[in-house]
Amino acid sequence: MNKPALYLSAASTISHQPTFRNPGFSVGLGPVEASSALISPDYKAYIEAGLLRRMSKILRMSVACAKDCMEQAGIAQPDAIVVGTGLGCLQDTEKFLNTSLTVEGLLPPTSFIQSTHNTMAGQISLSLGNHGYNMTHTQNTLSFEHALLDAAMLLREGDRNVLVGAADEHIDILEDIARQLAFEANAPLTSAASFFVLSAENQGNASAGLADVYTSGGTEYGQEDIDAFLDRNGLQAGDVDLALYAGTPVQGAARNVDYLPLAGVYPTASAFALHYALDVFATNSEVRNVLICNGLRKSNLGLTLLKAFEA
Amino acid sequence: MGVCITGIGVVSAIGMSVKENLSALREGRTGIGPLHYLQGTKASLAGEVKASNDALRAALGVGTEYVSRTSLLGLQAAREAWGDNKRSGVIRTGLISATSVGGMDRSEVFYKNYLAQNNPDYRLLTTHDSGSTTERIAKELGITGYINTLSTACSSGVNAIMLGARLILQGTLDRVLVGGSDALSVFTIDGFRSLMIYDDQWCRPFDDNRAGLNLGEGAGFLLLEGEKSIELTGNRPICNVSGWANAADAYHQTASSPDGKGATLAIEHAIRRAGIGLDQISYVNAHGTGTKNNDHSESVALQNVFGDRIPPFSSTKAFTGHTLAAAGAIEAVFSVLAIQHNLIFPNLNYRTPIAETGLVPATQLEAGAEVNAVLSNSFGFGGNNSSLVLTKYE
Repeated sequence: MNKPALYLSAASTISHQPTFRNPGFSVGLGPVEASSALISPDYKAYIEAGLLRRMSKILRMSVACAKDCMEQAGIAQPDAIVVGTGLGCLQDTEKFLNTSLTVEGLLPPTSFIQSTHNTMAGQISLSLGNHGYNMTHTQNTLSFEHALLDAAMLLREGDRNVLVGAADEHIDILEDIARQLAFEANAPLTSAASFFVLSAENQGNASAGLADVYTSGGTEYGQEDIDAFLDRNGLQAGDVDLALYAGTPVQGAARNVDYLPLAGVYPTASAFALHYALDVFATNSEVRNVLICNGLRKSNLGLTLLKAFEA
Repeated sequence: MGVCITGIGVVSAIGMSVKENLSALREGRTGIGPLHYLQGTKASLAGEVKASNDALRAALGVGTEYVSRTSLLGLQAAREAWGDNKRSGVIRTGLISATSVGGMDRSEVFYKNYLAQNNPDYRLLTTHDSGSTTERIAKELGITGYINTLSTACSSGVNAIMLGARLILQGTLDRVLVGGSDALSVFTIDGFRSLMIYDDQWCRPFDDNRAGLNLGEGAGFLLLEGEKSIELTGNRPICNVSGWANAADAYHQTASSPDGKGATLAIEHAIRRAGIGLDQISYVNAHGTGTKNNDHSESVALQNVFGDRIPPFSSTKAFTGHTLAAAGAIEAVFSVLAIQHNLIFPNLNYRTPIAETGLVPATQLEAGAEVNAVLSNSFGFGGNNSSLVLTKYE
């Protein structure tokens, strides 16, 4: 291994599952129900009331998770903020689209302002007063992996702590669109945000490290791409104690778990899988290697390899 | 040898190619005017690319109607930058595009019919997400593997170039096509109008009487190569990507800080990364949108960094309009042209210095003085500030 593992020193997820500030949530976690709703924390504990009123679901989730991560990691400022989102701020986008097509005269600008994809990263920098590198990746189902790769690069360039996460929000029209476009999924469409602190050094609270992350787009992938990735990291499929997958299970892994029924379906659901994996490491010391295999779309492959730290 | 630029491509309101854009820049000819192709907007002036979607599709050989204008414009510029380069099994090649609207030009057609219950075509939405606009460009060029999209509003284009350079330096990729693309849409025009920063007259960057921006559309792409790739392709480097930085202003979701904090950090860090002195910057291609807020904040940032020795600077947005996520990439192409041809482009429509800062941009085409290093700024919503330093290939 030529690259040292990076430390995951905080994780925070708001989702349709009891994930927020709930260590051990992965134990016995059942599939997300079609009738489920987002489990929102008391946002007022994280966001000032005046700001909160104007914030859409995706902004609330993101800022609250980001602040929770800072608290867990015990750092005042990250060196950088990197966010992945597949579809961005849908609620505000649809709202402004609707207003612009139906209202004559002067339009209220708030939903336009908050419609750009980098509103989450921008709002987090504002809420922390952070002047560091601030980036937003939006590559469909690989948006989170691209953010994670960017964060890993920043640490190799000298940063110490990077806040990295992903968020996507569900709006009602998605159900209609999914039906009309015959989008098939094995789980309901959901909203969620997951944020992490990726660190160059262990602050004593990391249960696992990020060994490698890889993305490939524009071509149908096969098991050989997964085997080649593992090989580059000195592993074989049989060394993978747990494969969290969307799409096709990983051949040869000791155990395969489809993460979509747990997370629900949204473009950055692999971020949920990362938090789930960290929770597994923290609760089960026998798990050494976890592979997240994101094949939510057939032409996109995202691979994230996590390793337990020696106790 | 660092990160080299070996190919450039651009499409904007002032032309469909590098050659056409350069001619217009030399002649001081703007592309901003009344809209011909985009219907149903309240904008009197915009920098529209002078081609219909059908004409673009025909010229590019794109069969499907389910393609956004953002993808078409991006493909036009990406093809030019890519040139005659071949796919390779040995050279790890990536594509990074930047966009802020993605396929909104198609989505708003759908949504209008959806609201009116007028048989909306849901397939139009398959081009909505920003990532799909890049996937389409990659597909047409036959690029697979590292394909990524950045979306940080008006600084996106510079960020794509910066990410590409970093991927090459870290050895993740050998060459990468980087750029940005955005099409005009009713959504963005209404958006900037709602903020009351859309000028119904011709935009006047850095003028005391400026009253806002004119939106534009287009795309810019650059082919970046590292040493290994150049050894194999034999391509001749045009310029180096030498410095870059991104910094958050953390002041307001849309407005820039009056002290230009984020912009100052981005400019300083980019020049430091380039390893050159402040006095070695020959020209600054400013963000210069023509809004009260940006041009003031950017002027303060230039003063913060350069003191009273500010290099010749201009905004080219009075030529192209503000092309949002494409702006940083289009202006990087213009910066390459400035170095290649030793040019400083004029800042059109400027008359009076901004009272608080008193800065005077270049107002005439300047040819002859050597241009060795260009600083290009792009600042966006969310307080996203990016700067790029391009230098002559030695």
